[in-house]
This record gives sequence, structure tokens and C-alpha cells, in this order.
Amino acid sequence: MRAVLSAIAAILLLAACGEKPPVAPTPEQALLLKPADPRLAGLYETSCKACHAAPDTGAPQVHDRAAWDPRWKQGEAVLLDHTIQGYKAMPASGQCATCAPDDFKGLIRFMAGREDPA
Amino acid sequence: MISRRAALVAGGSTAAVVAAGGTGYLVATHDKPEPLSPPSVNADGKLLWRNWSGIQTAYPSARLAPRDEGELASMLKTATAPVRPVGAGHSFTALAPTSGSLLSLDSLSGVISWEGDEALVLAGTRLGALGPALAEKGRAMANLPDINKQSLAGALATATHGTGSKLQALHGDVTGLRLVTPDGRVIDCSADSNAEVFQAARVSLGALGVISQVRLKTIPNRRIRRRVWIEPFQDALAKAEARWAQHRNFEFYAVPFTGLAVGISHDETDDPAQARGADQDSAFLDALKGLRNLLGFSTPLRKAAARALLASAKPETAVDEGWKLLSTERPVRFNEMEFHLPADRQLKVLEEVVATLEKERPDVFFPIEVRRIASDDAWLSPFQGGARGSVAVHTHYKDDFAFLYELIEPIFRRHGGRPHWGKLHTLKDQQLAALYPRWEDFLKVRAELDPQGRMLNPYLKGLFGLV
Repeated sequence: MRAVLSAIAAILLLAACGEKPPVAPTPEQALLLKPADPRLAGLYETSCKACHAAPDTGAPQVHDRAAWDPRWKQGEAVLLDHTIQGYKAMPASGQCATCAPDDFKGLIRFMAGREDPA
Repeated sequence: MISRRAALVAGGSTAAVVAAGGTGYLVATHDKPEPLSPPSVNADGKLLWRNWSGIQTAYPSARLAPRDEGELASMLKTATAPVRPVGAGHSFTALAPTSGSLLSLDSLSGVISWEGDEALVLAGTRLGALGPALAEKGRAMANLPDINKQSLAGALATATHGTGSKLQALHGDVTGLRLVTPDGRVIDCSADSNAEVFQAARVSLGALGVISQVRLKTIPNRRIRRRVWIEPFQDALAKAEARWAQHRNFEFYAVPFTGLAVGISHDETDDPAQARGADQDSAFLDALKGLRNLLGFSTPLRKAAARALLASAKPETAVDEGWKLLSTERPVRFNEMEFHLPADRQLKVLEEVVATLEKERPDVFFPIEVRRIASDDAWLSPFQGGARGSVAVHTHYKDDFAFLYELIEPIFRRHGGRPHWGKLHTLKDQQLAALYPRWEDFLKVRAELDPQGRMLNPYLKGLFGLV
């Protein structure tokens, strides 16, 4: 019985470890990150990076899951609407005049560290 | 140092609100909800566009992003009018909104080549990207505005400027440009070639066509020393002229309801780099907002608290390359009115503006920016014909800004102020003709280049007296 409980505890511990968000990149590492898709990479460089890879701005930093996960829980529709409308310090559309909704979704997923939907 | 005090003020206001209970809460709760906005997608399925502060909106029928100049020319010939170029959307006036085609130059970005110390730059290049690109060649822009998110074309179109009594606005560095007209023609112009188009196009509100590339003068990329300090407002007024004469760049912020001012100077140095440190501006604004929320009912109390908390803050110093220091992040969104005044009237106007705000508008907490700009000769440059001193009044993006038109603009106009083209103002047509000696010349060139008015949205038609 003790062995079973230990095994369950170990599994729970592993599961808990699995839920812990990965360590956020350093500011230097964040500056080097960009989406794999070339179009998104260009949009990110022009419109997102200036705030989302600059800690002083107060914006959630790229791949900082601790900052993004509470936002991600609001759902993609809410994040997309906040992006298009602007929200608090975030200007509307990140001032990307040519971004389509699918571009915004891709950029949000990338910055939130959720590029792999699985 | 400022940020620590700011945190104390912001935290203190929360504690006081809790302690004071409901009445205190009512006093303190000046924070507004997010402003109402139209839907993200309209009934026709078109996506919302808003400017940086959120007050300008549109549902363009088409969004265009040419990949090169040839594509830009062919797009302009066939695009649904009005065609409006847009950069970072930092204009508060309705220069960009269109029900037709919104055209972005984001794909036309980077330095094309060098001709000696002059750089040929694609016009969609953001100022924040231009700095490091020029620095690779050991060069820099002579001056920069305090925000670097704008596209080069957008900054030129609105006569965007920095500060420094010997330094011109950005368009003063332009020695040539290439304009693609609404019918797809490409015109190279400079002071020696197509000179009238050049003088009209350097500051042209995106109304003549689309500028695709620009030839820019540059200077050696030097390190500069940035100093920031707080002092009594009256001291700032008394020393301002001497500081403009002394420093490469000097500006100050008058902080209403505090009796204080924040001075900022930049001077060239060979000293080693000294880190700028974390952003202090947002914390300072939070402190000012906290003081408003807590003590907005009493200007004397608010001033006393501000002096006690902020007046003895230690000066800050940083050393780095100019393009890294002259522009700063502005993470707090705002709306803004800025007029450029004859230099000898600037400080008198500033005093009147501060007195008016302190008498009439206790909800205001943003500092007032005060800069000096050298003259140039572009036809629609606010600095045409003589040096100008700018005074810029800001309001938080959630707060009312109608008072800028009712209380502040009349002061600016009474003293011969010219409005910043991208910032809030109500001037149009004959009012502008009275301020700009080459106004009619500009309108003539505009009519020749765009006889069908394909670049004109309703706002520009009104501005040019074409409605």
C-alpha cells in the first residue's frame, strides 16, 4: 500500500512539475526569439518586439509563460479582441496596419509560448 | 530614486483610500474605464483600425502592403480611394482613417545605400530600427523625437521633431526624396531638382502621394550624457533660455499641480557608457496620478504633497549612443495637443497654460512638455521662417481631452502658435493660410500631383478647404 501511495505521489509530483511553466528567457535571449513563420517573423519584428522583448515596457515578455498563462486562460477570442481594440498600455493592433486576425492569433500564440497547440 | 518615491505615492494613495472608506474612494476614483469603441469587425466584415491612443477609428475596405516601389506605384494607380498611408498610427488627428485603402510601408524598411555620409533609406523604416542601422556605419540622425515607434515617412509627413535650439526637425535632415504619385509616377526631388515638389513634399501629411525613399544627412554616432533632474517650476522658467543655449538637447516638463519641473539635457561626451537603468517615467506618472486621485480636491494640499515626495529626488545620469537615449519608451498611452510658438513667447504661454490648468482642470496630471526647434524652409513646416518653442499638453487616454480645444488651443492661437500636424487641433483652411506663407503654393502642387483628390480623406479635404 505504501508503495502504491509513493508511486501515486511520485506521479502527482511529476505532473505538478510538468505544469510548472518553463523558465522565462533572459532579456538577451528574448531579443533573439522570433516566430518560425517568415511572415509572422516580419510582423513581430516591426510591431510586437519593441514592447514584448523590452522588460521596461510592462508588456508580457515573449515566451514568459508566467506572465502569459493568466492571459492565455482568458481564451483566444478575448486576447484577439484586446489586440484589435487595444487594451491598457497595448495600442490597437500593436499598430500593425496590415495584420489580419489570423496573424494576430499566430503572434499571440508565439509570444505566449503556445506555438504548439497540442 | 524617482521610481521609489513614485511607488510610495501610488501605494500611499491606495492605503489612504482604504482607510478613508467610501468617501475616500469617491475622491480617489478618478480612474476611468476603457473608452467605448466600435466593434472589432463591422457589418461588412472589415477589421477595425485605431490610432495609438484609440480616438481615431476606421474600417478600411482594403489594406495594402507593397513589397517594393514598383508594387507601390501599381497599387496606387488602382487602389480604392481615399488612399491613406499609415505608419505607427501615432497621429492623434484624423490623417490616417479611410473607408478606402489603408497603405502601410512596413515592407519598405531599411537602409538601401550610402552616398558619402548621406543614407538612402526606405521610407517605411521605423525610427527605432533606423538608429541601429545607421550605427552600423558609425553614423546617426542629428536628432530624434522622444518616441521612436514612428515610421520615417510618418514622422516627416507630420514635421515630427526633437529638441535643441540648433537642431532642426527630422525633415531638416532630408536632402532628397522619391515621391510616388497617386497615378503611379515616380518623382525624384531635391533642392536642385523638382525643387517645388521637394519643398512641398518634405512635410506633406501624406497628401501628395507616398514617399518611398529618403536621402538623409547623418552625423557621427557619438555617445551622449543624459541628465534628468527635478527643480522648482520657477527655476526652470528662469534658466530655460540659458540651458537651450548651453546644451545640445534640452527640454523640460512643467508638472502642473506640483510647482515642479523635470529637466532633461543631452550633451556629447567621450565618457564610457553608463547604464540608463530601468524606466522611471511610468512610475513618475503613477505617482502624479496617485496625487490627483488622493488630493485632487485641494490644489494646495496636492502641491505640498508633491513637493514633499518628489522635490528632493536625486538627479539621474546615463551615457550611451544618442539613438539609445534620445527616444524613450512611452508605455502609458495619452492624447496630446502641441503647438509651436514663436520662441520669444513660448515661456509666457507655458505659464498661462499651467495657470489655466491649475485653475480649471484638477483632473490633469500629465506633465507638459517644453521643447525648442531650429528653423527650416519646408513649406508646411511649423518651423518655417524662424525658431519655434513647442508646448505640449497631454491627457491620459482614458481621460477627457475636449478641454484641450476649449481652454488650451485659444491660448496657443492668441500667441501665433502653429499646430503639430499629428496632434490635436481644430485649425483649417484660411486659419492655416494665415500661419503659413507658402500655403497656397502647397495647395497648387497638391492639385497638380493629385487632381482627383485620391489621397484626401474627409479630414484632409476640410484641412485644405476643399469641402
